[in-house]
Amino acid sequence: MLDFFLDILGTTGKKFINFVANIGHFFIFFGSAIYWAFKPPWYFKKIFQQILDIGYFSLPVVGLTTFFSGMVLALQTYNGFADFNSESTVARIVLTSITRELGPVLTGLMVAGRVGAKMAAEIATMKVTEQIDALETLGTRPMQYLIAPKIIASLVCIPFLVCIGNTIGILGGYVIAIYKLNFNPSLYLYATMEYLQLIDIIQGTVKAAVFGLIISMVSCYFGYNASKGAEGVGFATTSSVVISSVMILTSTYIITALFFG
Amino acid sequence: MEKIKKKKIIIKVSDLSKSFNNNIVLKNINFQLIEGESLAIIGASGSGKSVLLKNIIGILQPDKGSIVINDTEMVNLSRNLKEKLLLDLGITFQHGALFDSLKIWENIIFKTANKEKTNNKQGKQLAFSIIKQLGLQPEILDLYPSEISGGMQKRVAIARAICGNPKILLFDEPTSGLDPVTGSLIDQLIKTAVKTVGGSAITITHDMASVCRIADKVILIDKQTISWTGTPKEMFNSANQKIQEFIKPINSEIFFK
Repeated sequence: MLDFFLDILGTTGKKFINFVANIGHFFIFFGSAIYWAFKPPWYFKKIFQQILDIGYFSLPVVGLTTFFSGMVLALQTYNGFADFNSESTVARIVLTSITRELGPVLTGLMVAGRVGAKMAAEIATMKVTEQIDALETLGTRPMQYLIAPKIIASLVCIPFLVCIGNTIGILGGYVIAIYKLNFNPSLYLYATMEYLQLIDIIQGTVKAAVFGLIISMVSCYFGYNASKGAEGVGFATTSSVVISSVMILTSTYIITALFFG
Repeated sequence: MEKIKKKKIIIKVSDLSKSFNNNIVLKNINFQLIEGESLAIIGASGSGKSVLLKNIIGILQPDKGSIVINDTEMVNLSRNLKEKLLLDLGITFQHGALFDSLKIWENIIFKTANKEKTNNKQGKQLAFSIIKQLGLQPEILDLYPSEISGGMQKRVAIARAICGNPKILLFDEPTSGLDPVTGSLIDQLIKTAVKTVGGSAITITHDMASVCRIADKVILIDKQTISWTGTPKEMFNSANQKIQEFIKPINSEIFFK
């Protein structure tokens, strides 16, 4: 009986130590990646390719998601607030929800699924096929050549994507408010502009930058530490998406609390 | 009395040991590669040949022992110095390790392009001058590695390794997966690289025909250590059981007649 409990204790302890070691390992990776992102030479061709991939090619999925979220938000708000004769708050609710929360979070989750998974799979494949080893032997630092361009591009692109997503989301709310709920277009736009605050835009941009860092770091970390062939690539990809998503949802609360705490 | 010029030791491995999670892979490995020499390392699959190569090039850190390349100790060497040292080496990996996102010509001139700026035209010309020695057609230069066959990938990996004429060449199974004609071509190329450029090479291989064609010296790794060393000719007269098992499938007459 005692052996059984000691076994459980031993296994749990080992897992906990591994967990703590992995967190430490992640932060070392994080520090190293930031260092190499700011150290020349910069691989501009690689950075441009990543900007195209993260920014330009994510636009359709971000646009679609935020557009429909704006639409559903306008509809739900109207249905809920009509009972209290507060339909006029629809514009404000749509604006605040999209700029502060839905825009950045939905963009972050979409990019984590689309780009984060791709980053992790690409780096993991390079790892298991010895391409990263080859890079080292050819006088190129993988951190500088592979990881840094992804981090720089994510930090640049995701705030822009969030701004575009916010605009499209507000437009989605506008379309429903005007064409389905029969709001006056001028009054709706006036209300939207009236309630638009700089702090909301700043908050959304800060969240976007943090999400960009989370997605690129987590994806690159899991990819870079992949092992065991195809199984390792699969594990890295899944882990990067799951961990990035959880960290996005956790950090959005922390940032909100810091802004409005 | 005729003066005998003492040849330089290019790589010296002393008392090298390496294990993974208490699983000992290499134990007290000692050997040296002399200037102008072509050394073949043979051994069963999983015997630690590739691990030995990765220790030599600094990708893996040995548990103990010393690796000296061109009079510089590799173990615990700073990263910057290690990078500089590696620029003098031409290395191929077991599975080619070509960069998927780069075209063939970009793969071949990768190291050279890092050292000096080359435009596309110069880069392609340089890549072409190398691939034609390997029996490859210029049409492949603008393709990606996934668009060419495995055998071609192997040859492109060798082209990448010999680009810039490095004096030390390290090949991990360069002829595996190639047809006998291409394999023979690769062997000839390794031999030429060693003899004409005055380079030195370590080749890890299972291909005994290849060993006979390229090697001046053979090392057998068995049970974590070097269990036999000799020339290819001595291999056929050896009483070592493992060596006998290796040479059994081939007819020595073909190579030594």
